[in-house]
Amino acid sequence: MEVNRRDFLKIMGIGGATAAMVGCSAQPPETLIPYVVPPEEIIPGEATWYTTVCRECPAGCGMLVKTMEGRAIKVEGNPDHPVNRGRLCARGQASVQGLYNPDRIKRPMWKGTDGTWHPIAWEEGEKLLAAQLAGLKGQGERIACVTPLLTGSLDQLIETWLKTLGGGRRLRYEAVSHESLQQANRATFGSANIPYHDLEQAELILAFGADFLETWLSPVEHARQFASMRTYREGRMGRFAYIGPRLSLTAANADEWISIRPGTESFVALGMIQATIAEGLTISLPANEEAALRELVASFSPREVAEHAGISVDKIRALAHAFARAHPSVAIADGKTSNGTETCVAVNLLNYVVGNIGRTIHFGPAAAIGQASTYAEMRQLLQAMEAGEISLLLLAGVNPVFTLPEGDRFRKALERIPFVVSFASFPDETVNAAHLVLPDQTFLEGWGDYEPREGVRGLQQPAMRPLYDTRAIGDVLISVAKRIGLQKELPWDNFYGYLRDQWKDVHRKLRSSEEFETFWAGMLQHGGLFQIVPSPPVRLNVEGLPRRFPPPAFVEKTDGLILIPYASPVFYDGRTANRPWLQELPDALTQVVWDSWLEIHPADAKALGVSPGEVLRLESSFGRVDMPAHVSDGVRPGTVAASIGQGHTAYGRYAEGRGANPIPLLSPEPEATSGGFPWIATRVKITRTGRRHPLVSTMGSDRPHDREIMQTIRLATLQSGRHPEKHPHLLQIYPEHPHPKHRWGMAIDLNACIGCGACVTACYAENNIPVVGKEQVGKGREMSWIRIQRVNEGTPDHPEHRFLPMLCQHCDNAPCEPVCPVYATYHNPEGLNVQVYNRCVGTRYCSNNCPYKVRRFNFFTAEWPEPLHLQLNPDVTVRSMGVMEKCTFCVQRIQAGKLSAKAEGRPVRDGEIVPACAQTCPTRAIIFGDLKDSDSEVARLSKNPRRYHVLEHLNTQPAITYLKKITRGPVEG
Amino acid sequence: MSQLTYGQVDRDILRAMEAPGRRYYIVFLLNFLVLAWGAFAWRYQIVHGMGVSGLMHPVMWGVYITNFVFWVGIAHSGTLISAILYLFRVRWRASVYRTAEAVTVFALFTAALFPLIHLGRPWFFYWLLPYRQVGGLWVNFRSPLVWDVFAVMTYMIISMLFFFTGLVPDVAVVRNRTSGLRHRLYAFLAQGWQGTDRQWRHYKAAYIFLAALATPLVISVHSVVSWDFAQSIVPGWHSTIFAPYFVAGAIHSGLAMVLTLLIPLRRIFRLDAYLTQSHLEHLAKLIILTGLIVGYAYIVETYIAWYSNNVPEWQRFLYQVTGEYAIPFWIMILFNSLIPLLFFVKRIRTSTPWLFAIAILINIGMWCERFVIIVTGLAHEYDPYSWGLYFPTWVDISITLGSFAWFFFWFLLFAKFLPVVSIVEVKEELPPPMKAITVEG
Repeated sequence: MEVNRRDFLKIMGIGGATAAMVGCSAQPPETLIPYVVPPEEIIPGEATWYTTVCRECPAGCGMLVKTMEGRAIKVEGNPDHPVNRGRLCARGQASVQGLYNPDRIKRPMWKGTDGTWHPIAWEEGEKLLAAQLAGLKGQGERIACVTPLLTGSLDQLIETWLKTLGGGRRLRYEAVSHESLQQANRATFGSANIPYHDLEQAELILAFGADFLETWLSPVEHARQFASMRTYREGRMGRFAYIGPRLSLTAANADEWISIRPGTESFVALGMIQATIAEGLTISLPANEEAALRELVASFSPREVAEHAGISVDKIRALAHAFARAHPSVAIADGKTSNGTETCVAVNLLNYVVGNIGRTIHFGPAAAIGQASTYAEMRQLLQAMEAGEISLLLLAGVNPVFTLPEGDRFRKALERIPFVVSFASFPDETVNAAHLVLPDQTFLEGWGDYEPREGVRGLQQPAMRPLYDTRAIGDVLISVAKRIGLQKELPWDNFYGYLRDQWKDVHRKLRSSEEFETFWAGMLQHGGLFQIVPSPPVRLNVEGLPRRFPPPAFVEKTDGLILIPYASPVFYDGRTANRPWLQELPDALTQVVWDSWLEIHPADAKALGVSPGEVLRLESSFGRVDMPAHVSDGVRPGTVAASIGQGHTAYGRYAEGRGANPIPLLSPEPEATSGGFPWIATRVKITRTGRRHPLVSTMGSDRPHDREIMQTIRLATLQSGRHPEKHPHLLQIYPEHPHPKHRWGMAIDLNACIGCGACVTACYAENNIPVVGKEQVGKGREMSWIRIQRVNEGTPDHPEHRFLPMLCQHCDNAPCEPVCPVYATYHNPEGLNVQVYNRCVGTRYCSNNCPYKVRRFNFFTAEWPEPLHLQLNPDVTVRSMGVMEKCTFCVQRIQAGKLSAKAEGRPVRDGEIVPACAQTCPTRAIIFGDLKDSDSEVARLSKNPRRYHVLEHLNTQPAITYLKKITRGPVEG
Repeated sequence: MSQLTYGQVDRDILRAMEAPGRRYYIVFLLNFLVLAWGAFAWRYQIVHGMGVSGLMHPVMWGVYITNFVFWVGIAHSGTLISAILYLFRVRWRASVYRTAEAVTVFALFTAALFPLIHLGRPWFFYWLLPYRQVGGLWVNFRSPLVWDVFAVMTYMIISMLFFFTGLVPDVAVVRNRTSGLRHRLYAFLAQGWQGTDRQWRHYKAAYIFLAALATPLVISVHSVVSWDFAQSIVPGWHSTIFAPYFVAGAIHSGLAMVLTLLIPLRRIFRLDAYLTQSHLEHLAKLIILTGLIVGYAYIVETYIAWYSNNVPEWQRFLYQVTGEYAIPFWIMILFNSLIPLLFFVKRIRTSTPWLFAIAILINIGMWCERFVIIVTGLAHEYDPYSWGLYFPTWVDISITLGSFAWFFFWFLLFAKFLPVVSIVEVKEELPPPMKAITVEG
C-alpha cells in the first residue's frame, strides 16, 4: 500500500484524535472501550445536543446542552421552550462553570469529631443518614428539609419521603422571593398567585422598583417581551418609566428614571389612581368598587404624594394620564420595603382601574416562585432549631448562612442540631456547619423536571455522566428509604424511575393515543411539555383591601443613609459567585469586575468626604460591613446601594474573600402582613476607614466625548421620516474586496440592547476565552472578544446610560491588516477579518491601529484549573502566550453551517449560522447573516434608516451596522 | 592643535588604548552588572510573557518602542557629523567624528534589540525578515514594521562599513605598535593598509562614496521609523509632519548624546588638545538649530491638531498637556526646545559643565518626547471606553537600564580597543612635518 504524506497525516490525525477523545471523555471506566464500536450517539468531532432546564434561578428557562465526546461544553436556550425561546442570560451561559467548577465537592464527606472533613464511601454516607433516620422513627416532625424552590418530581419525592418518615418540616427557600406581591394579590384579587405579566402587549410599562430585566421573576422572558414592545413599528414604540430610588440596569433602559424616596412607591401609585379617577380616565367600574377606591385614595392627592416621594406633582399627573391612556399599560412592583405589600396592592389597584388585569396581567398561569416558602417560615425554622425541636436537618442547594440576615444566628443554631446533612455541590458557608455532605449532581448531570409556571413542564435530562463521585439527591432519598425498610412506600429503584412514573401520570392525563415511550422520547427531544393554561378572570376583592397605607419604616430613624440591597444581575443571591466568567463580566452600570461596592451619591460622598475606592464602614444595629465606595449618580441622595451575592467566606477560590455581603446589616424582622423579607428597611451609619480598595473596571471613560460612537435618534424625528443621514465623503484608492460568495455581516440594534452581558459570557464559553482575574483586568488585559460599552449621555441629575456591544467590526478596509508585518491578519474572501494565531509574532501593531480597540493580546499563558479545561470547545484553538486574538464571528460555526449546507446540496439558509453572542441575546439585538444575500435579515437591517457605522469617518467600512437607539424622553401626559 | 606634531598625535591618541586601570575595570564591571540584570529581566519576560511588562490594552507599545526610537535617534548624530559634515568639508569634524560614528553603531546595536524585546513571541523574530517563508509566504510589504527592518538594517550595514572604513588607516598605526593576538586583530581590521598612494586614492574614493551613501540615510531611516506611527490612524500619530519632525529630533538627541560622551572622554583621556572647546561649541550651535526645528515641530503639531477640527486629535492634544502624562510632556517642551536656547549665550555654550548638563537634559527630554508620542496617542484613542493608563513595571525599567548598559558596554570596549579620535584626519589638519632647514651663510 502506498501512503503519501497527506494520507499519513490523515491516519495519524484520526488515530491521535480518537485516542485523545477516548482519554478525555467523561465515560465511566467500565465502558471505556476503544471507538472500534463507538458508543451510540457519540461521533467524535460532532456535537450531541440534550435538552434540559436551567436551574440557576427560579425562572426555569429551557436549555440545550452541547456535548462533544461525552462532555458538556456549551449551553444554549431551547428555542421550543416558551419561557426563554432559545435565549439565555449570562448566569445560564455560565452554568457549565458550575458543572466544571474546580471547587466542587467531589465525594461524600463526613465531619469527624476533630472538625475536619473525611472522605467516605457512598455506602457509608447513606448508612450514616439511614441510621439517623432509623433513630428518629416516630419522631418524623423532628426532621426538617430545606431545598431551593423545586417543583415537579423531585419536589413530590421529597414531600412523599418526608411524609413516609412521619412528616417533617419542608421549606422551599429562595432568598429572592415575592411574598409581598403574593400577599397583595391575595388582598386585592383573592389569589396568592404570582401572575403572568405580558409586557409585550403593553404600550407603557411602569416599573415600581421591579428589576425585571435582571432578577425579577423571569428576566430572560421579560427581556424578550420588553424588546418586542420597544420595537419601532408603524410609527409606534412602547414606552417605559422606572420609579424607584436606584438606577438599576432595568432603570437605565427606561425612557425615564423617576427617582423617588424609598418606600413611597405605594403613594405614587395611589396618587396616580386619585388623578385617574378624578379625571374620569378609569375603565367603567362597578359602583361599590369605585366608591371603595375613591375612599381608599382620598388622602393621597397627587400634591401630597409628590411631596412624600420627592418628585413633582406634574410628574404624577403626567404618569397617571399616560398610564390610563396607553392601551394597554402595565405596572409592576417589587415590594421590598416594610410596606412592600401595600406597594404591590397600590400597583395592583392602579392596574385594575385602567383595565390592565386580564390584558397585560394574567392570574394564570401562576409562576412557580409563588410556591416558595416565606421568609417568616424560614425564621420559624430558625427558632425551632434554636429551641432544639429539630434533630435532623437536610439542606440541599441552599445557603442560608450566607443569604439570611441572621446568617450567623443560623450557623449557631445549626450547631445545636445533632445531625445536619448537606447535599451541596459546592463548599459554601452552610456546608461548613454540616456533619455529613452527600454531594448532589449539578443539574447538567442529573434527571429532573421543573415547572416555572403552570403548563410549562420542562424536562431535565443528564447531558453527561457525573463528573465526580456524586449522586442525585432523589437517588439518595430513595436508597436511604430502602435501608430503613420503606421500600413499600418508595418502591422505585432510583429517581429516574420515579420521574418516569410521574411523567406517566402526565401522559395519562393528556389522554393521548401515543405510546408512553414515544411520548417520553418526544419530551426528551423537545425539552418538556408546554401547554397553554387558561387565565381565569379575577375581580377586585373590595373587602380584602388594606384600610391604611403606612409610610415605610426604617429601623434606627437616625441620620444614617438608607441601604438598598439588590440581587446581583450576575450572582443573583450569591449562588453563581463561584463562576469565573461571571466574576469577570463587567457589571453593566459600573463596569466593575471581581468585586462588590457601595453606590453612594456624590452629594453624600462629599458630605462624608469620601472619594471613590475608599473603604467605608457600614454599621447598623445588626452588623458591620466594610465596603469600597463607588460614587455614582445612580442612587438617590440619602440612600446607598449594594448588591448581594459577593462577600463569601467560603464557596471556592473564585468567590471566597471577594467583596462584601451587606445582608448581615439588614433588619431581620419580617414584613408583618406577608411574612416576606423587607430588603429596604435599614439605615446604616457610614464612617470612613481611611483604607483604600480600588475597584477595577474595564471602562476608560463613560462620557461620549463627541465621538458619536453611540448614536441615538429621537422618536419624533424617526416618525417624521425626515432624518438626513450623515455620511462623510470618503475616498478609496484600493479596489473593494470582491467577496465572491458570502460577505458575513452583523446588525446590532441598539434600541434592543439592554446591556445584560449574556453575549459576553456566551462568547467566553464558545471561544475558549480565558479569565485573567481582577489584577490583570486592572491592567486592561481582559480577553473578552465582545464587550458592552456603557456611555452616559446625560447630566449628573439625569444620567442617561446607553449600551453598545463592541466587537471586531470585520472591516472591509481594516486598519489592522496592512500594519501586520507577517500577514497574521488578513481579509478573507467571505469578508471576515481573520487572525492566524500560528503566524502571529505579537508586534501588537494591529491592536494599536484598531480604532475599535477590540483586539486582545495574550499577555500570559492562559490557565484553566482542572476540570474547567473540560469545557473547552474542541472546535476553537486555545491561543498561546504572545499572540493576538479577537472576535472571529464564530468562524467555526460559519464553517459548520457551510458544511452542512454543502452536504445537503443547498445554499446556506439565512439564520442558519448564528454566532454565540447573537444566539443567546435575550432581546435579539444582534443579527448575523450574509450581506451578499439581499433577502437576509442582516442585509435588510443594514438598510434600515437608523443604520450607522461606528467611526464611519475613518473609512474602515465595517461589516457591522448599528441601528441607532430610539429616544423619546420623559413620559408626558 | 597647530603646535602638535604627528608623533605627539600618535602618542596622545594611542595612550587611551593602553592597559586599563582599576577605575576602568570597576566601571566596566558595574556596567556589566546592570547589563546582566537587564538580560535577566528580558529572560523573565520571555518565560512568563509580555504581561510582566506594563504593556496593556490599549497601550500596546510602551518604553520598548520608546527605547527603539530613542536609540535609532541617537544613531543619527554619527552619520550627520561624519558623513554630512565630511561632504561639506567642515574641518572641526575631524576630532569628533570617530566617537560620533561609534555612537551610531552602538546605538543601532541597542536599537535593534528592542523590536525583538517587544515581540510577543520573540523566538519567531526571523519571520519579520524578508525571505520566502513556508508556503511561499513573504512578509507584508505594506507594513511599516517591515520598512523598519529594511531601514534599520540598511543603516546598520552602511554605518558599520563607514565606521570600519574610516578606521583602516588608524588601525594600521595601532597594528604597527602591537604584537600577538592584538596585532592579528588590528591587522585584520587594517586590511593590509600600507599607506601607499594607490591605497590612499582608493580609500578616499570609497570613503566619500560611503559618506554620500550614508547621507540620505540620515533622512530616510528616521523618516521610516516615524512612519511606524504616521502610517497608523492613531490620533497624535497620524501626521504628515512626522518624518522631518523625527529626523530633526533624532539629530537633536544624537548631538546631545555625542556631547554627553565626548566631554567625559576628553577629560579622562586628556584629549583637550584634540577635542577643543571650539569643537564642543560647534556642536552646541548645531543643537540650537535642531532644538529650534524640534520646537517648531511641536508648535506645528499643536496647530494642526487644533486647525484640523478633528475631535479625537484635539482631545488627545489637550490630554497630552493636562492628563496623566503631562509631566513627561512638559519635560519634553522644556528640555528639548527651551533649555537648548541657552546656548545662544556664549558663556554657556563655552562652559563644559553647562554643556554637559544641558546635553543630559536633552537626552532625557528626547526620551520623554518619544514616550509622550507613543503612549499618550494610544492611551487616548478613538474609543473613550477603551482609554487606559500604562505604567512601566520593574521589567520595562530593568530592560531600559540594561539597554543603556549594553550601549556603554560597547562604548567602553571601543574606548580601549580603537582610537577614539581619528589619528589620520587630525594629522591632515596639522602642518606637515618638515626637516629642519638650515640656512647657511
